[in-house]
Amino acid sequence: MDNIAGQKTGLAWATHISVLLLVLIWLIPTVGLLISSFRDRDQISASGWWEAPFAVELTARGRTSAEAVPEGGGFVITGNIFDDEEAASYFGASPGAVVAFGTRGAAPTEFEAGTVADLGDGESLSINPDGTYRWVTPEEPGSRGQRVYFAANSPPKFTLDNYRTVLAADNMDRAFINTLTVTIPATVIPILVAAFAAYALAWMEFPGRGLLIAAVVGLLVVPLQLALVPMLNFHNAIGVGQSFVGIWFAHTAFGMPLAVYLLRNYMIGLPRDIIECAKVDGATDFQVFTRIVLPLSFPALAAFAIFQFLWTWNDLLVAKVFLPSSDEAKVMTVKIADDLLGSRGGDWGILATAAFVSIAVPLVVFFTMQRFLVRGLLAGSVK
Amino acid sequence: MTYRLYATAAVIALAGGVAGAQDLKFPVGERDFTWDSYESFAAEHDYSGETLTLSGPWTGADKALVDSVLAYFAQATGANVTYSGSDSFENDFVIAAQANTPTDIAIFPQPGLAADMAARGYLVPLGEDTAEWVKENYAAGESWVDLGTFAGEDGSEAIYGFFYKVDLKSLVWFAPEAFEENGYEVPETMEDLKALSDQIVADGGTPWCIGLGSGAATGWPATDWVEDLLLRTQPPEVYDGWVSNEIKFDDERIVAAIEEFGEFALNGDYVNGGTEAVASTDFRDSPGGLFTFPPECYMHRQASFIPTFFPEGTVMGEDADFFYFPAYESKDLGKPVLGAGTLFAIANDKEVAHGLIDFLQTTIAHEIWMAQSGFLTPLKAANPDIYATDTLRGQGEILTNATTFRFDGSDLMPGEIGAGAFWTGMVDYTTGKDAATVAADIQARWDQID
Amino acid sequence: MSPILQGIITIIIGVGGCVGYFFLSNLILDTLIYPARGKNIASNIRRANMVRPWLFLFPAIFALSLYLVYPVIGSFLRSLYNRSGNEFIGLQNYVELFASPEFRTAFLNNILWALVVPAGATAFGLLAAQLTDRLSWGNIAKSLIFMPMAISFVGASLIWKFVYAYDADIGLINAIRAGLFGSEPVDVMQIPFWNNFFLMFILVWIQTGFAMVILSAALRGIPEETIEAAIIDGANPFQIFFKIKVPQIMGTIVVVWTTITILVLKVFDIVYTMTGGNFGTEILPSYMMSFMFRDDGRATAIAFVIMLVVLPVMVWNIRQARAEQR
Repeated sequence: MDNIAGQKTGLAWATHISVLLLVLIWLIPTVGLLISSFRDRDQISASGWWEAPFAVELTARGRTSAEAVPEGGGFVITGNIFDDEEAASYFGASPGAVVAFGTRGAAPTEFEAGTVADLGDGESLSINPDGTYRWVTPEEPGSRGQRVYFAANSPPKFTLDNYRTVLAADNMDRAFINTLTVTIPATVIPILVAAFAAYALAWMEFPGRGLLIAAVVGLLVVPLQLALVPMLNFHNAIGVGQSFVGIWFAHTAFGMPLAVYLLRNYMIGLPRDIIECAKVDGATDFQVFTRIVLPLSFPALAAFAIFQFLWTWNDLLVAKVFLPSSDEAKVMTVKIADDLLGSRGGDWGILATAAFVSIAVPLVVFFTMQRFLVRGLLAGSVK
Repeated sequence: MTYRLYATAAVIALAGGVAGAQDLKFPVGERDFTWDSYESFAAEHDYSGETLTLSGPWTGADKALVDSVLAYFAQATGANVTYSGSDSFENDFVIAAQANTPTDIAIFPQPGLAADMAARGYLVPLGEDTAEWVKENYAAGESWVDLGTFAGEDGSEAIYGFFYKVDLKSLVWFAPEAFEENGYEVPETMEDLKALSDQIVADGGTPWCIGLGSGAATGWPATDWVEDLLLRTQPPEVYDGWVSNEIKFDDERIVAAIEEFGEFALNGDYVNGGTEAVASTDFRDSPGGLFTFPPECYMHRQASFIPTFFPEGTVMGEDADFFYFPAYESKDLGKPVLGAGTLFAIANDKEVAHGLIDFLQTTIAHEIWMAQSGFLTPLKAANPDIYATDTLRGQGEILTNATTFRFDGSDLMPGEIGAGAFWTGMVDYTTGKDAATVAADIQARWDQID
Repeated sequence: MSPILQGIITIIIGVGGCVGYFFLSNLILDTLIYPARGKNIASNIRRANMVRPWLFLFPAIFALSLYLVYPVIGSFLRSLYNRSGNEFIGLQNYVELFASPEFRTAFLNNILWALVVPAGATAFGLLAAQLTDRLSWGNIAKSLIFMPMAISFVGASLIWKFVYAYDADIGLINAIRAGLFGSEPVDVMQIPFWNNFFLMFILVWIQTGFAMVILSAALRGIPEETIEAAIIDGANPFQIFFKIKVPQIMGTIVVVWTTITILVLKVFDIVYTMTGGNFGTEILPSYMMSFMFRDDGRATAIAFVIMLVVLPVMVWNIRQARAEQR
């Protein structure tokens, strides 16, 4: 018996550890993005996000002052390297300790901090960890001091600058509102349309019903790219063109097969007696639908609503085709992909922030509405 | 129901177009700009209450710059002007044109697409006057007219594109201080450039930063390399024949130019990060290597726009500078220059749109942008002193000193080649395929087009 | 008028229009055309009830046929014409496509995607569902694994760039390699053939949550008796899982598998943003993008090939749906 109990705890431990591992793998990339979005551009390129809490060794460049004091036949220049504007610009308000220094860009960390470096021709330079330096030269320096390269620890720096840049980008607020303008009707309208259709397919008797159901299932797999060109031409022909109306129609139709499929599967599982009782009592189909079926189907409606919301919010392709490309009509995804990434493509901090801004709302919706999503999904696909 | 929705959308669209008047960057009358041209333009044009929409490829800082120029047009005429930029302007505009909702003015980054749009009847000719003006007032005016002249829907040729803002491609960027410390000299000939590269390798450094990454457009920086090298190894006639496919892509002279590029990009000692990094480094990240300590590389060949992507606070002329990507001394092909430019075209035949093209013919429209950044103009009347930096002035000089000027070839080829097969072909080349195979693949794709 | 207000008004009109259609059309049917009174009351009600399903269905059918059925047919016809659409060339586009090596790469990759992603997501989902089943913190774990579902494909690609990047100071994989083995960085997007799997893993990462949620519910639905009987017979946990549980939820596994397969064939964003189809990672939906608006004949032909790849799944789905009704 001992043996079996031992196996059991062992297995439980293995389960805990494997789940933990799985969760970590699933979470780490997103965490990396979140941390990177708060980091300073220089720090991102100097160390990975996993090292964010630690000081980063940055290599910087500066120049000593040129105010020489004659001393023993030569000249001595002293000061603090962090007083130099250029050197300070790498570190912000709180520079860390100097680790090493040099006088050539090709070898910026030739000498250890605190040691005296012989520069030849009787010149020598030393920089201490606190940034103070002493440069001895036999000839009087001209108007410019000695060029100095050094590596110093830069304390971890977290900033909201990236968020300021992304959110303050031209018309970002407008893009946010546009996204909502696209998303909300494109979520609500298909639900209404699909709910009626699903009810008809689930609870009304009419010829051709089976064929229609099969057709809806078949249409689930049609690649939506097929519809882009012909539908845009159609929108032009009827005078809708590229507009919000057009994109609502498009999203409504593209979400329709899944909506009808999910909702019908749910509705058909509702108790038959309630609906038949109501019909016997003289309720019309319209009343049965609005008073009984619709309220009872709430979980499935909510699940589809979340699905469709996420889909329309995250959509890039449909928005690019069916909305005008002017700034007034851009949605967030297009704004980020075409406007921000194009001009700031090399800046990892901006990339991370842009991505995070675009996924923030869906994540909030997702975590608050998760229960409904799960319930509705189950109804739709598990018999 | 449809009708009601449509009406509402129209209301939204209208209300959306209202943009606040922008402050002028340089008060009228200040500095030595050619303000007369502004005054006389303002006196002759009045579009109060009319709106003008533009779309183009400029986003971010470039958008702010073009807005600053358009503000003068708005001020002079009273028109309501909005510009919107997109990174995928080409696709967006094609879709919009098909949807019959194009902006009044389209700013094409290359003539290829503009020619296509003109042939499909989406553009309006600018008129003979404009052609005459360009011929008269632009340096090498004839060639700018030719580049902007396309066949329309009915097959008759007319000028559709007005070139405004030119980019110079044959430039090598470097950090003067890094050169100075190591005793490197700016090379005057291609032979010297290669010798310098070897010298840097011998000194333990890496001479070049090359990055081809650009999302879906990955590979394009390599096409510039190949074009520049073709102009330096073959006479310009070969270049012209290649662009029009009279000389096939797999011609040995073209293959040789690709291999010439390989001498730089496929030499592990020459490129930062090794050859594998070439295809995966983003072109916007790539020049950053010039400014690290120790330098990850010493030279970066890229067009005149690249300083936008230099680290913040980089002072041009001090922290970074450029030299002309030199020609072979031994080949006697002069000083060829590769460039590109954006062209304005009218998509909606509105008076105010033609008014904007007129405005671009004023000297002031060029000077406003010259005085800021990233702008070169072939306009002879523009005062070179106005260029904001010596860098820009220097580039202007290269532009005017060129013995041969050729437009970016990939922009003149059909889109599927110049903005497709050529790009991916170059990526294939840098990741191991041999030049002849790559060239044959591209030619095969070209053969399928007609 | 502020944009927010405009948005709200348009929403009210749009939604109001829909509600109005259903309400009014029913009202008109019941009161004007076939009023439920007078001498024809019985036949009127019967007729009204024959018409009503179509009233309910009309907007959905209209939208579906206009936006999905018509493009499928229209696209097929378009794919038989040349690039400018003025010359009928039969199956020439298809012939040329299959002759081009790029297309063949995209086609084979696509089939790989259609096999690997559903398999991977279902397997991980099943694993996660089983492991979290009796776990005290199982719900939290599930929510976290489910989370990528909310992230757009473009967003997900950016997230994974921070894992795959070549620069060891940005890319996690190269950092781990450098940290543990001191090896030189590799660009995982450039490793021939295997780079496809790195891209596929992004989609697996997104879809595993979906598979997990549904399979976890199915696992709970298994009757306790069958499992108890197995325990009494001395089966170990692995045998219970593979011999008892999995066969019982096979139906659900298949549903999950097909749903993900359908999705896989529509996704182009990941490849498009990660590699632009370079390095031999092209797939059909993103290959199609390079022809769209340039050579529509070719583009629609590719779209149709995508349809053909999904066809087996579609036929199976329809048969399944019909079987249910019986």
